[in-house]
Amino acid sequence: MGILHLTKLLADVAPQCIKETELKTYFGRKIAIDASMSLYQFLIAVRSEGAQLTNADGETTSHLVGTFYRTIRLLENGIKPVYVFDGKPPEMKGGELNKRMEKRAEAQKALDKAMEAGDQAEVDKFNKRLVKVTREHANECKELLKLMGVPYIEAPCEAEAQCAAMVKAGKIFATATEDMDALTFGSNVLLRHLTFSEARKMPIQEIHLDVVLREMQLSQKEFIDLCILMGCDYTDSIKGIGPKKSIDLIRQHKCIEDILKSIDKNKYPPPENWNYEGARDLFENPDVTDPETIELKWSEPDEEGMVKFLCGHRQFSEDRVRNGIKKLQKARGTSTQARLDGFFTVLGTTPAKRKVEDKKKNTPSKRGKTGGSGKGRGRPK
Amino acid sequence: MFEARLLNSAIFKKVLDAIKDLLNEGSFDCSDSGIQLQAMDNSHVSLVSLNLKSDGFDKYRCDRNLILGMNLASLAKVFKSSGEGDTVTIKAQDDADTVSFMFEAKKQDKISDYEMKLMNLDQEHLGIPDTEFSCIIKMPSAEYARIIRDLSQFGESIVISCTKEGVKFSASGDIGTGNVKLAQTINFDKEEDSVVIDMQEPVTLTFACQYLNSFAKATPLSNQVTLSMCDNVPLVVEYEIPDLGYLRYYLAPKIEEDEN
Repeated sequence: MGILHLTKLLADVAPQCIKETELKTYFGRKIAIDASMSLYQFLIAVRSEGAQLTNADGETTSHLVGTFYRTIRLLENGIKPVYVFDGKPPEMKGGELNKRMEKRAEAQKALDKAMEAGDQAEVDKFNKRLVKVTREHANECKELLKLMGVPYIEAPCEAEAQCAAMVKAGKIFATATEDMDALTFGSNVLLRHLTFSEARKMPIQEIHLDVVLREMQLSQKEFIDLCILMGCDYTDSIKGIGPKKSIDLIRQHKCIEDILKSIDKNKYPPPENWNYEGARDLFENPDVTDPETIELKWSEPDEEGMVKFLCGHRQFSEDRVRNGIKKLQKARGTSTQARLDGFFTVLGTTPAKRKVEDKKKNTPSKRGKTGGSGKGRGRPK
Repeated sequence: MFEARLLNSAIFKKVLDAIKDLLNEGSFDCSDSGIQLQAMDNSHVSLVSLNLKSDGFDKYRCDRNLILGMNLASLAKVFKSSGEGDTVTIKAQDDADTVSFMFEAKKQDKISDYEMKLMNLDQEHLGIPDTEFSCIIKMPSAEYARIIRDLSQFGESIVISCTKEGVKFSASGDIGTGNVKLAQTINFDKEEDSVVIDMQEPVTLTFACQYLNSFAKATPLSNQVTLSMCDNVPLVVEYEIPDLGYLRYYLAPKIEEDEN
């Protein structure tokens, strides 16, 4: 689930760290995709008249449709995706997982009620809440990816942590997930909305951790503590302390230990047996496979294998599958365009200086005949 | 205070036409030594580097270093309203948020004044290493534009290979293939028609037509164009702007898909 309200906080205190871009600007980049997250998206989004796509036996195929077409779209844009699957959840996530289970049970109840009442909109809504990515779904996807010639990795533990480790090692450019905790794990570049449907026309959000830290004036250690305070998957947080208060406290005291010493424990009682140290340790030293031992290989798609896999009892249209494979082969066949920033080093960026509030102040003087009177516009040095 | 006066405003018009395909906006760095612009296109495949020396202007004054961020489409609108042979004076106050352009007509007593809002842009500074190029080809710019245009009809990319026999441009696609070979020819009467090839080592590189075509938009700036190539290094396409400076384009090559 990531970090509670982190996106909103970033938009408020570090607006420059979020850039909106288009898919085509990522050509030539190797990008790790959080597979569980994208499968979940596909199961929810790839539907027809509110129901998941299935074959004649009622087995779901939404995740395969999604993986097939959206991976093709990435490859057509010159992106080299690598899917990373979750391993065992860390023990500390138990609490969070229990909570999710309770929520599912509630949704199931609500669904039954809605079915009885015959309220279709409600049924759809709760149906979506009950969506779960099973081991079966993941295994089918892995098989499909193998046939498509796209590499995947099975993380020993959390997929985001594995992605972050690979970004840090320079193996890949960015992590694509909706979960903000990829940043907490230290992934320098985070892409959101990458696997969204083309029809939604959602711009891709690119978040840079180094800009986040610079704008917030925090170190990575302090940032991790901030995320724990705001609420992560691994432990509870202090009731009554939200994003705004968290960042103030971190800026003032630098770490959770010192915050606990100074806050009024009656007003803000910390959770019982609060294991923030354990959560911190999970973020700092997560269980990952050494990125250096991972070999990423994008290979030739297996056309016949794919047709057999998808068009057999999964009942995909053979024409469409063959068309998709043609696109795959075309994307592979042409030589790829290199990026200029791979040759020249970026010496530094001068961000635009003028902030939104300055702009308002400046508007009257802009219309003045003599031009700027010298006030307002920040001078980049 | 920044002020630059150029007797022939048409040069600016040509520069704008040559870069506005690749860039939507640009930050012009003004300093004592002149005006510079360095920017990558949106997809980070090519880079435009413009350098106009201060002593090429008829009057140049720059008290403090200044960055003028401009929308190039708007700037083109301003210059479109200038007449043939007009003199242009560009002025900006220190810390200003607008820049002004004054055009003086040569033949009649007419002065037009335009003021344009500046933009505040993100700037990415790239360090470009000095390269010893293996091949430097100097050829008529109109010839370059023609070859690229013709070959673009055949495919999405053009292979440029330079050997001691000369330089060969080739493209292939669904309808067939096209090849254009140029050998060194030195024309003493009309120097601008010469093709001069300075080759240390043979090179073959592949580039996207789309960008090579955009570069050809600079043809009106100069009679000759210089292509500098080296293995595994971006191509440099340079148009000299007589007496004023140069406009350079850098383009990342296309690479074969086998290293993974």
